[in-house]
Amino acid sequence: MRVKIGVYFCNCGGNISGKVDSELVRRALETGCDMGYFKTCELMCSDDGKAYLRDEIAAEKPDRIVIAACSPREHENTFMRVLSGAGMNPYLMQMVNIREQVAWVTPDVRLASLKAAALIKGAVKRVAFHKPLEMKSIEMSPDVMVIGAGPAGLKAALTIAQTGRKVTLVEKRAVIGGQPVLYEEVFPNLQCAPCMLEPMLDEILHGDYAKNIEILTLSEVVELYGFYGNFIAKIRKTPRYADMNQCIGCGECIGLCPVDVKNEFNNGLDSRKAISLSFAGALPNVPFIDMAACLRARGEDCRLCDEACPLGGGIILYDDTEEIVERRMGAVIVAVGASLYDAGLISNLGLGRLPDVYTSFEFERLLSSTGPTGGQLLTRSGRTPRSIAIIHCVGSLDSKHKEYCSGICCQYAFKFNLMVGRKLPDTQIHHLHKELVYPGKEEYFLYKRAKENPNAVFIQYKDIDTLCVTEAEDGIMIVNSSIKADMVVLCPAVVPSKDNGKLNETLGTTVDMFGFFEELHATLDPVMAKVRGIYIAGACQSPMSIQQAITQGMATAGYALSGIVGGKRLEIEPITASVDADRCSGCRVCALVCPYKAIGFDEQNKKSSVNEVLCEGCGSCVAACPAGAINGNHFTNDAILAEIEGVLACLNQG
Amino acid sequence: MFEPRIVGFLCNWCSYAGADKAARAYPPNVNVVRVMCSGRVDPQFILKAYKAGADGVLVLACHPGDCHYKEGNYKALARHRILLRVLAEHGIESARCRFDYVSASEGDRFIEIITEMTDAVRALGKRS
Repeated sequence: MRVKIGVYFCNCGGNISGKVDSELVRRALETGCDMGYFKTCELMCSDDGKAYLRDEIAAEKPDRIVIAACSPREHENTFMRVLSGAGMNPYLMQMVNIREQVAWVTPDVRLASLKAAALIKGAVKRVAFHKPLEMKSIEMSPDVMVIGAGPAGLKAALTIAQTGRKVTLVEKRAVIGGQPVLYEEVFPNLQCAPCMLEPMLDEILHGDYAKNIEILTLSEVVELYGFYGNFIAKIRKTPRYADMNQCIGCGECIGLCPVDVKNEFNNGLDSRKAISLSFAGALPNVPFIDMAACLRARGEDCRLCDEACPLGGGIILYDDTEEIVERRMGAVIVAVGASLYDAGLISNLGLGRLPDVYTSFEFERLLSSTGPTGGQLLTRSGRTPRSIAIIHCVGSLDSKHKEYCSGICCQYAFKFNLMVGRKLPDTQIHHLHKELVYPGKEEYFLYKRAKENPNAVFIQYKDIDTLCVTEAEDGIMIVNSSIKADMVVLCPAVVPSKDNGKLNETLGTTVDMFGFFEELHATLDPVMAKVRGIYIAGACQSPMSIQQAITQGMATAGYALSGIVGGKRLEIEPITASVDADRCSGCRVCALVCPYKAIGFDEQNKKSSVNEVLCEGCGSCVAACPAGAINGNHFTNDAILAEIEGVLACLNQG
Repeated sequence: MFEPRIVGFLCNWCSYAGADKAARAYPPNVNVVRVMCSGRVDPQFILKAYKAGADGVLVLACHPGDCHYKEGNYKALARHRILLRVLAEHGIESARCRFDYVSASEGDRFIEIITEMTDAVRALGKRS
């Protein structure tokens, strides 16, 4: 049966009809294409115009419609809605842009009319191949998994939990709170970090919405499969050997433990027991046993911690075992933070060689009242430092190391300056920096205060390799042959955590050239990963402050909350690709070119298939398939080839 | 004067939007076929255009790094380079098949490319 194709020519209130002669167009279309009828309309996008189109669809009952008017970027959606409202499938329409690309740019009426006719001819030929397409929908889970319990992850988890969604919070360490819970004060306002964070941690653990958050500490994601709306994660829980629900956190078990090991929470600056609470104020307030260090791992039947428990038996669980748990979720938020560049690689700075050269992490702990010295600033030999050198830009802004600026180091170095000034008002502070940065509305003031410290000196250096830290007498060091220092603090570049690569592989996401999790779009979608439904927040995406990490955590929560809604179904756009299994040879070229990881492979049948949820409809795979086995909905080969023929049929002739 | 017939494949997000912003008169010789992404331009579309009588073909993409679909423009560029070699074997000059970038704000650049392309193909004459 012949399809009836109606062409509507919009005058656009004279914008088009002033330059394109509709009568000339009509005559040119009478031959060489299968036009059913041709009608003009004064202003198609007006309310009258839309009503006219609706009535026309009812009266003419066209099989396909071509609307020659403005750019489809302007009103394609408008007219698709009119078609839907009139009971016609909206994909059975093709727009032709005879305003922006013809009338407004072609002064000669005859040439403009012939060009318009050629373009319309292309559309008439193309639209015959259009197929009715329907939105599909599938079930989705409104729950979310958050990986990493630092500020970004916690903020995201709490925000989502407050809406009644279930959140699985997966944390590698035994404690939550991330890096800042280990700091005494944070920039830019030198606020007490635990005072600021603990209320949030408490809300996560015991607040009104705590029931919606499942916290899995000492855990990591080992497998993720599925896709946006329907992910399934396998999570490995390593044993804590203590009952999270019943333990009251009194710490009686710790004192009797006979084993001492280096305390990683203080960067090995002091020791802890094999059963430990990490640090004072750590949450959840439940100790864990470091089984690698515990005497029981060596076959000894030590039960001292169990015997010390005032609640009696059953709290310390020596038989606790590793477990793999499975959780289903609609979205995943990655907020695993970052770490510091290994400043030991710049050997002239003395880290690891000279005892009083510290990384900024270590120095944070020395300043902290929960740290190894209780917040007293002392050298390894127990002296009060009279001079401290702070070296900025260690491994940053350096093509031999990390070429980017880590952004936060200047701020915490200024913070160190002020904190040292308060603790030891007579101690000299030397800031050695390559550059100084202080963007933002508060940051400059911190620099100003640091600079106003009468004991502070700022010295610019050009190349980190020219800095030399040597040991002089009595543990005093000489920096750059002239500065005496009892302590040297290094501010290394912020770099991706060493586990980023592995996690990236597990999640099927991508990382950038530096190893940070890569965003979908650096400006517009900085918290979306390149895999739909996976979001990235905090320093795992780029070096950033706590404030920025919190903002990103909120942003990811926003995406998760607006994208996946409980009780609603996930709508799938119909303009996607699909594989004709009979023609697919299983070469997998399509999967290579797909930027969205939307193409899967059935190992049994050796056929590729497109996941419609992930497919964005770009058509790269359609063009790449050597067997012509992939169809691009609405932009099919047949439709495009017909359009090419049409636009060439009468161009500039006559 | 010989008026060449040219087909322009424009990606929806950058170059088609750039063409919409062209605010001066330009030669009417290029007729546009809109695709969602330059990566969708199958070499057979270009061959089809020549077969249907085109004197030239233009493929316009987002600038490097700007592709709405991340990397479709790189694929289009790679395909174009290979296709030029095939076209040469069939006696189709490389000036008849141009690949270029136009952003969503570059109306003037679009006009420039259309004008250059039309002049270049006009100088080559009708495709024999």
